[in-house]
Amino acid sequence: MKNTLTLFAATLALAACNPASQTSDSASAESEGRVVNVYSARHYSSDAVVYAAFTEATGIEINLIEARGDQLIERIRADGERSPADVIVTVDAARLHRAEEAGLFAQSDYSEFADRLPDHLIHPQGYWVGVAQRSRVIAYSNERVQDGEITTYADLADERWNGRICVRSSGSVYNQSLLASIVAHEGEEAAEAWAQAIVNNMARAPQGGDRDQLRAIAAGECDVAITNHYYFAMMANSNEPADQAVVEQTTLFFPNQDTTGAHMNVSGAGIALNAPHPDEAREFIAFLVSDEAQRIFAEMTNEVPAVPTAQWDNATLSAMMPFTQDDLEIAELGANNAVAQRIFDRVGWQ
Amino acid sequence: MNIIAVLAAFICGLPILAVAAIALGGGSTDYLRHLAETRLPTYLFHSAYVGLVASVTAAAIGTGLAWLTARCEFPGRKFFTWALILPLAVPAYVAAYAWLDISQAGGPLDRMSWGLFPTIRGTWGSGLMFALVLYPYVYLLARNAFTGQSADAYDAARTLGASAFGAFWRTSLPMARPAIAAGMALVIMEALADYGTVAHLGSPTLSIGLIRAWSGAGSLLDAARLSLILVVFALVIFGLERHGRRRMQVQTSSGKQRPARRFLLSPLQAGLATLAAFMALFLSMVLPLGRLAWRALREPVANGLAQASFNSLTVAGSAAVIATLVGLTTAYALRRKSVLGTAAARLAGVGYAVPGAVAAVGVIALLSGIQRWLDPTWESLTGSVLPILLTGTAAALVLAYLSRFVAAAISPCETALARVTRSLDGAAKTLGANTRRRLLAVHLPLIAPGVASALILSFVEILKELPATMILRPFNFNTLAIIAHQYASDERLGEAAAPALLIPLIATLPMIFVARYLSSSGENGARP
Repeated sequence: MKNTLTLFAATLALAACNPASQTSDSASAESEGRVVNVYSARHYSSDAVVYAAFTEATGIEINLIEARGDQLIERIRADGERSPADVIVTVDAARLHRAEEAGLFAQSDYSEFADRLPDHLIHPQGYWVGVAQRSRVIAYSNERVQDGEITTYADLADERWNGRICVRSSGSVYNQSLLASIVAHEGEEAAEAWAQAIVNNMARAPQGGDRDQLRAIAAGECDVAITNHYYFAMMANSNEPADQAVVEQTTLFFPNQDTTGAHMNVSGAGIALNAPHPDEAREFIAFLVSDEAQRIFAEMTNEVPAVPTAQWDNATLSAMMPFTQDDLEIAELGANNAVAQRIFDRVGWQ
Repeated sequence: MNIIAVLAAFICGLPILAVAAIALGGGSTDYLRHLAETRLPTYLFHSAYVGLVASVTAAAIGTGLAWLTARCEFPGRKFFTWALILPLAVPAYVAAYAWLDISQAGGPLDRMSWGLFPTIRGTWGSGLMFALVLYPYVYLLARNAFTGQSADAYDAARTLGASAFGAFWRTSLPMARPAIAAGMALVIMEALADYGTVAHLGSPTLSIGLIRAWSGAGSLLDAARLSLILVVFALVIFGLERHGRRRMQVQTSSGKQRPARRFLLSPLQAGLATLAAFMALFLSMVLPLGRLAWRALREPVANGLAQASFNSLTVAGSAAVIATLVGLTTAYALRRKSVLGTAAARLAGVGYAVPGAVAAVGVIALLSGIQRWLDPTWESLTGSVLPILLTGTAAALVLAYLSRFVAAAISPCETALARVTRSLDGAAKTLGANTRRRLLAVHLPLIAPGVASALILSFVEILKELPATMILRPFNFNTLAIIAHQYASDERLGEAAAPALLIPLIATLPMIFVARYLSSSGENGARP
């Protein structure tokens, strides 16, 4: 048994040392060159390309942790003033708002981006800037729905769509954000009535992701679906015949073009309050809104660039642009997220 | 020794205690009332439902296959004996993504069956997915039980005129019941803790509810409170399992008296046996992973797979060794029936029913608490702020793995140790064997298969663990499970294929090693 104990201790020591040696690697990199520690809730291939381009351009090495937004927030909060986080990146307005409420961001002067970014994508007190956007849109069957038969989110509540709507679960932050925007525009009561009507009109209980809703239209299971614009774009740009077939049978449009504009969710970045490398963090954020990074987001992830003047080459995305965007304050989306969640619970949107 | 076992088990349980402290510490919120009025009954119902479907199906598959490979001879038996463990290396959410993709409207199975094949979805669909990839729990434990059984009772039943199935049902099966129940308990708890599968297939279980409380309402407090319900679930399951085991104890025979022979099946029966074993592998691995691979043909291969494989292998390997050692010592502590030992073991075990994200929060809270507590001392000693040592190092990861999965190591060790009966121990003592000799010559041969199972189970579990790894990992540290999930959650199944295929591949490494050992110890005396 003593041998067992020795082995136990040895393994423990080994386990503790192994990735710790990686950390010391990064620590030695720190003494040689400049680094920035990025905590990101994004996880796209485009990001790896952007990060590589940043290191190429500035010589600053990136240490990266990618996890879900709430968990990142919890880890940074628990680490407190010794948190190594320099930059916090989220993919969702509510998470951005929550990180701000938790006091995780440092203030910074982003006025130099004022002529590049729309007003609502720069935080009034300088906690964060928006770097890319995704729109929550509606797709319909070319066969079973007339063009113009549906133009707004509110139209989905109409009885004529009874048993014809596909949408994913309300656990998706994209659905929460959409409903939060409706709460902000029309009030809680109207938003609840809308959500109830959607539940009544569902063709099936929520399942799968956004692409699965589009596939369900092509398969005839439903006639309209709520999806993020870039899932449709990804399928349109896919080499797979099945995806192409789905795109050919469906039409995507941006709702509320004559009223509030299509709902936009924001991926944003800010400097962490206790950032050990604030200058590098600042350079990193500046790079995220540079023409080069914006081009990569638009071309690789089909996101709507935060910088309207950025140039990019993506025929699928070009065909969708321009459209009227809902420029609701991020704080409003964030504050109403919890309200939206409770509405979903009450109306039984799974 | 006993004290160390208790301490080790207690440390494994600390993160869950930290979660409990969060849950009980905060003020009152109205969220739980809102939930009780709206979704809570639904969550509870679906958690029970998914646990039932998963465990009963897994028990049927696992027990059947265990009997076939342990006691029958059929073509491919040697291969299937270890290959049937492999589905455990397929993360349930990967199976779910692939199966929904295949079976939903417009998918290949739907088209090939003219729409007759049902879409794998909802709570029963999730239950089936868990059964497909988790039946190896039951299989491994039941197989150890079947190979360890003496043939006496079975043969007596046959002599008394029972059919082969009747004798199995009335003698072999009841004797294996504790092992099967232990396997089912693990399946239930894993199903309760899962998030990815039930989220994708649309099954509103309690873990969905608590992640929603956290992410939607932003209330970690309420999420922690909801997770206490899962802890209670786990304690009840443990209690039931122990109750069943206590009732069984009189019937355990003393060691291997006359090892069972394997039956020669008729050609038709043997063919069906091979088919059954093949179908288990086909449905849980070949079909879903094949679908991903097929999609992968049109996609670029993900970067960083070699490094991620290395990380997965080293982290899972070292944590699994620790988990197994803790499991073994805890099993000994449980055998002594000390109150403290049992309490510590149960505390360590409940983490298995708690979602990884919640266990990770427990680790974060615990470690930052310790650090805050150490700060003043450190500062007075060194005059500087204590550097961030705890979160974001492998120590945090290993602690999270232990708190989540040590139950998967305790159960097989405990089951195996039940084979070392008091009378056997007593006999060895009477013959003058000292403790060391008793452990090596008597205990080790009897418990080795169980310990090997514990090692495999915890290794594979950690290999595919996702939420805790994601949040607690050090900088620039990817595992295969993380890469697979990042693509799959972004609905890019093709790119998720390569890492998802590598996980079972890496899992085979220790399995081949252990399988060779198991088959060499299991072949003795079993002449077809």
